[in-house]
Amino acid sequence: MKAVKGKFFFGGVHVKDRKFLAKDAPLEELPAPPEVRIAMTQSYGRPAVPCVKAGDSVKKGSLIARADGTISSDVFASVSGEVTDVSELETECGCKDTFVTIRSDGRGEEQFMPPLKDPSPEEIIKRVRDAGIVGLGGAGFPSAVKMQPRSEVDTLIINGAECEPYLTRDYRLMLERTDDIVRGARYIAGALGAADVMIGIERNKPDCIAAFEKYDDVKVVALRKVYPMGGEKQLIYSATGRKVKLGQLPADEGVIVNNVATCLAVCEAVELGKPACEAVLTVSGRSIARPANVKVPVGTPLSYIIEQCGGEAEAPKKAVLGGPMTGVAIKSYDLYVKKTTSGLLLLSEKEAAAEEPTACLNCGLCADNCPMHLMPMNTAFYSSAGDIDNAVKLGGTMYCIECGVCEYVCPAKRPLIQAIRNTKAAVRAKNREGGK
Amino acid sequence: MDNGIVISTPPHVKSGRTTKKIMLDVIIALLPAAVCGIVYFLLDALILEITCVAFAVLSEFVYFFIAKGGLNVRFADSETKKLAKEIRSLRRAGQPCGEAESALKARRAELKKAAFAKSGGVCKKWARGFDYTSVVTGLILALILPSATRWYEAAIGAVFAIVIVKMVFGGTGKNITNPAAVGRVFMMISMFAVTVYPDANFGPIDGGAIASGSTFLSGSLLGKNPDPNAMSLLDLFLGTGVAGCIGETCKLALVAGYVYLCARRVMKWLQPLRFLATTGLMTAALNADFAFFMPSILSGGAMFGAIFMMTDYVTSPKGLYAQIVYYAFGGILVALLRHFTHIETVSFVIILMNLIVPLLDNFIRRRPFGYVKEKKNKEGGKK
Repeated sequence: MKAVKGKFFFGGVHVKDRKFLAKDAPLEELPAPPEVRIAMTQSYGRPAVPCVKAGDSVKKGSLIARADGTISSDVFASVSGEVTDVSELETECGCKDTFVTIRSDGRGEEQFMPPLKDPSPEEIIKRVRDAGIVGLGGAGFPSAVKMQPRSEVDTLIINGAECEPYLTRDYRLMLERTDDIVRGARYIAGALGAADVMIGIERNKPDCIAAFEKYDDVKVVALRKVYPMGGEKQLIYSATGRKVKLGQLPADEGVIVNNVATCLAVCEAVELGKPACEAVLTVSGRSIARPANVKVPVGTPLSYIIEQCGGEAEAPKKAVLGGPMTGVAIKSYDLYVKKTTSGLLLLSEKEAAAEEPTACLNCGLCADNCPMHLMPMNTAFYSSAGDIDNAVKLGGTMYCIECGVCEYVCPAKRPLIQAIRNTKAAVRAKNREGGK
Repeated sequence: MDNGIVISTPPHVKSGRTTKKIMLDVIIALLPAAVCGIVYFLLDALILEITCVAFAVLSEFVYFFIAKGGLNVRFADSETKKLAKEIRSLRRAGQPCGEAESALKARRAELKKAAFAKSGGVCKKWARGFDYTSVVTGLILALILPSATRWYEAAIGAVFAIVIVKMVFGGTGKNITNPAAVGRVFMMISMFAVTVYPDANFGPIDGGAIASGSTFLSGSLLGKNPDPNAMSLLDLFLGTGVAGCIGETCKLALVAGYVYLCARRVMKWLQPLRFLATTGLMTAALNADFAFFMPSILSGGAMFGAIFMMTDYVTSPKGLYAQIVYYAFGGILVALLRHFTHIETVSFVIILMNLIVPLLDNFIRRRPFGYVKEKKNKEGGKK
């Protein structure tokens, strides 16, 4: 359907996106790495429990760990070969996690589930759970849980905004796998009983908008190019005009949002029986020799990806897993790709922000640009004085979506997100104490 | 991967805007007014501008130097005292004291080196952290002074503005009122020259005459027989034949600065207009004559205050509704005080409004996106 304009909301900022670095690099499948290490924490919630031991031989797509509870996801082998080790290693956020190490035998044998034909809603939800699919937009919430909302849902929004700078994964997927994404979205909408399927795409990707306009059952919304347009609440408001109330879920407003990569994964799981064992990510930044969009098995070492992309062009100032606005800064390449990894950025000294903070000017730019209409400077001010109650009351900290806009625009380069996270952690600790 | 890698919380990219760049933008926006001041009031204006800026920067440096322990250095300690005593006693006894003298010299040189290193470090720290805010304060202060002010009076005002109003409260971003406004009010109360407004260098170009020695504002607009048409609007706009402060006479220069600041997005374009519109409307309402609307905006310090002083980042509220109240109330206050006191009141109003900003910020809270009104139960507590 012909694209319609998205609704305007206050806040957000026009970020220099630098998507041109990897925009024109088509998706490529890297040769399988000799060894993969698959983390058990692949989604929001509890880590999965390994069900293989050293010495077992596995095929691509075999179950290697079972979900522990509802909010958790199954984990699958991403290459065929032999399990050599099940051990604890350090992850990118500095905590310990169990990793299953698989040495590839190079044969690439596959063990997929049987494809479904004309599936019923229950079958689709079961398949999505069995395939271990999680939200690939970043949070990694198990999709099967999201597909069984507690209230009626009438609209499915596909999130193709990709407002994060540098990342071009969704852009390439939307161009190259348009049909698969639409079919995946139809399966999800069928499982939800949603009548409308909408896709939100930022206006800086006109070719994607044109590609989706061909489908009659998909409403295309051309969104303003502003960060964080891909934020769930902002996207829902922009596409449908509904405001998700504080403390509620999108489903309470009758909307479910799914990323384009998630739709693609659902399509592959239903039609091919393929579980979530591959990740598509953007490798970009000025410090990488050859920016690319690559498809790799889950568990591929980052050093292997960088080597395949031509190595470092210059010494990076910052290495980031995920997007530059919300991703995690890493200190070594001995880390492994997860289902939810969407990008690997090597930022040069020129691009990366590493200035020393100066005194707060009280200019209010953080508040002016906050998409949640909060007061980040109050949070920073009161939490630095240790006054958590006032920080939450006057800063609205608990509603923060941690998009990073406040810190991006801050002329004094204050570490606002750090202050917000500290405050949130302090509040949670306080609540836990109070509960006991 | 080498060890120069930086780890931090996101975001990992940031905008190019810094405090320094914002302050430079403000200085650039003030330049047309400063140049016009020199054209209209000749050497007096130039001397005042240079004095104010120089003393503002200097006093900031001196305060920083003292506060950060630049003076807390020692050129003598117990060892040198002991050595000096020893030398004295040796001399009295008539014995040679060359060894002790050289030891004393070495110790003194050592202390001197350490002292210079320490105060040099403080100077370096100041230079690295210098963000042009004191230049802006000094320049604004100079532009809101009448040209008859003596240079030493202006210097005292600049030092007062920086040290008492800004640095004592904690420096950049911590002052509770606009330093320049307080400096000007301080001088107005303490010094006679600051209340006399000499005429500009040019006569009226569009007809009409004005009694010299009093501004258009206090003479025609607020006098016993108010006459809004005593001067043409063109003269008021260009500042020709208008008696007034250095930077406030030529409105054209101020508009140029306003356009620049808006184009650079340093300031929201609507904010000064809110203030000016309420000032004009309130004046017109008080005199029951709409002819007062434009003259009241174009005369006195209303325009300069609206563009460069009310919008000061540090001392204005942050939420949208609080901002509307701040500017509108400021405008009403200017009109009321002008009407009943018959003198120029913009600086006073700015200080008053600055002082109630924390209250505005506290009582007019922003509502988060998707806010639901909290329902209260019958006992009045939160549900």
